[in-house]
Amino acid sequence: MKRLIIFAFCWLACSAWGEAEVQLNKVEVATDLPTLARGAETVMTVCNGCHSLKYIHFRELAKLGVEKDKVDGWRGSNPMGTAIASQMPADAAAASFGKAPPDLSLMAKAREGEANYIYSYLLGYYTAPDGTTGNHYYPPTKMPDVLAVAGVTDPAQLAELNKKAREVTSFLVWAADPHAQERKSLGLYVLGYLLVFTTMMYFLKGRIWATLEKV
Amino acid sequence: MLNSILGWVDQRFPLTHIVKHELTDYPTPRNLSYWWNFGFLAGVVLVLQLVTGIFLAMYYKPDVNMAFDSVQHIMRDINYGWLLRYIHSTGASAFFVVIYIHMARTLYYASYHKPRELMWWTGQVIMLMIMATAFMGYLLPWGQMSYWGAQVITNLFGVTPFFGSDIVMWLRGDFSVGDATLTRFFALHYLFPFLIFGMVGIHLVALHTVKSSNPSGISLADKDNIPFHPYFTLKDLFGLGVYLIVFCSFVFFLPGMFIEPANNIPANPLVTPSHIEPEWYFLPFYAILRSIPDMLGGVVAMGLSVVIFAILPFADRSTIPGGARYRPVYRLVFLVFIADVFLLGYIGSQPPSGVLVPIGQAATLLYFATFFLLPPTSKLEERWMRSRGLPPALLTLFEQRSPRDKWSNKGGAA
Repeated sequence: MKRLIIFAFCWLACSAWGEAEVQLNKVEVATDLPTLARGAETVMTVCNGCHSLKYIHFRELAKLGVEKDKVDGWRGSNPMGTAIASQMPADAAAASFGKAPPDLSLMAKAREGEANYIYSYLLGYYTAPDGTTGNHYYPPTKMPDVLAVAGVTDPAQLAELNKKAREVTSFLVWAADPHAQERKSLGLYVLGYLLVFTTMMYFLKGRIWATLEKV
Repeated sequence: MLNSILGWVDQRFPLTHIVKHELTDYPTPRNLSYWWNFGFLAGVVLVLQLVTGIFLAMYYKPDVNMAFDSVQHIMRDINYGWLLRYIHSTGASAFFVVIYIHMARTLYYASYHKPRELMWWTGQVIMLMIMATAFMGYLLPWGQMSYWGAQVITNLFGVTPFFGSDIVMWLRGDFSVGDATLTRFFALHYLFPFLIFGMVGIHLVALHTVKSSNPSGISLADKDNIPFHPYFTLKDLFGLGVYLIVFCSFVFFLPGMFIEPANNIPANPLVTPSHIEPEWYFLPFYAILRSIPDMLGGVVAMGLSVVIFAILPFADRSTIPGGARYRPVYRLVFLVFIADVFLLGYIGSQPPSGVLVPIGQAATLLYFATFFLLPPTSKLEERWMRSRGLPPALLTLFEQRSPRDKWSNKGGAA
């Protein structure tokens, strides 16, 4: 019976996962501070022109290790505890792009494919034969090719773009769930404690039950 | 000192008596397998949901303009808010895992038989209340899937003849899901767990009247019942440890698994997500809803598919105890039914197109046929089993059974 259930479950799981519409490129998300700080810098200098990060405050960028001068430059006269707004007012952005650019704080968790989606999307720009720019992963996108990916063929330049996209993705993954590292390290302690507790209960239960006479 | 305080209380309230009779000395069949741990686990999950929920409610704001932000506030700024929220959101799924296993165990061993019909029915009521609570709780984060899920499900009530649109508006408090809906769902989501708690109390009073079932299906002789403490307190604690290891693995390492990406986008009444899909625990019922071409028929079938379990004490007419343990046909029916539920779950998660539509309809038919064909099949099975002679293990059990038991080797068409 157990085998049947496990089989049914695996079969369902496989068939559910087997069919992604567009194959996304896999990205190895970084969690080290220098990478996150570089990603933050790109996001603040490139993306923040149009996109807000309303659940992130300037103080948190400084905590990631972004240099104080840069953070001060971005926040202007706002205090460190200010949420990061877009540099372009939403209605102005809507007027120029036809759609208000979405907030980026949760972007890494708000699309199927999550980090892989963002990474693939950022690098997914191409130049169509008619000279216009398109995106493989989200064709109706209104966002311009901000990393200037389309048409690049030079391997060194491509490697540089991949690195940049990976930094941006890693930063956005952090931004979507800033407590992820704390959660995982606490989780190890919790599981460790539970393993000890459960093992103890297993042996204790065995000893107590051994006092019952056998039928 | 402690004894004298206890003595004082005991003269006025049967504290020692209750603890002794209902907990420490409570007679429990010694042959319970680990499948009998899940009732206790369901209680633990309920308490965990209640406690985390109360703390979440201290920061959550049931207002369409603030709900989504307040959840992010909890996740980011409140001390261990992320832990409370992930325990609560993962706990919703865990609750269904636990109670579905608890129900499957009852089905497998046919524990719903006399004298445990009220156990089964009160359990059903608890399940319905949990479903309602989960559904209303899912609206609270005010994400896209929250909003559109509530919109679609409340809309189903529109098929009610004559009063359809009035009922939908009464449920939503508005023409469409909005601030009024969010506020009332929050109020009820806070209320229902306490009602569930009361219902669990009734479930337990019934349990302590009829006592636990056991894998043999027969009430054991007194010598085979052992005190709950320390034997089952320890067995439950071990089970709890295993459960928490699995649960915490999800809470700490895969908490996003139970939160749809679309629900990380704030609710937007103007943009419909490309694929609206309920949470996994509703998928089999959702598949049944969609497999009936007529909407009224679909809603009735879905409602029926949830409550139809209540007929089992009557529908299963076999007098052979122990359910699938001693009855080969019943075992086969059980396994096919479980496989069918998984199949329906898969179909519910897919867009309804192509070959999945007829497969879903066949699976729906099989789902209901299981219940409606049980009276004749259980009767025929018994006749067949008795004509071949009952298994020796069962005959031995009949000899050892407790005199208060109804099961015997006399019933049926011998």
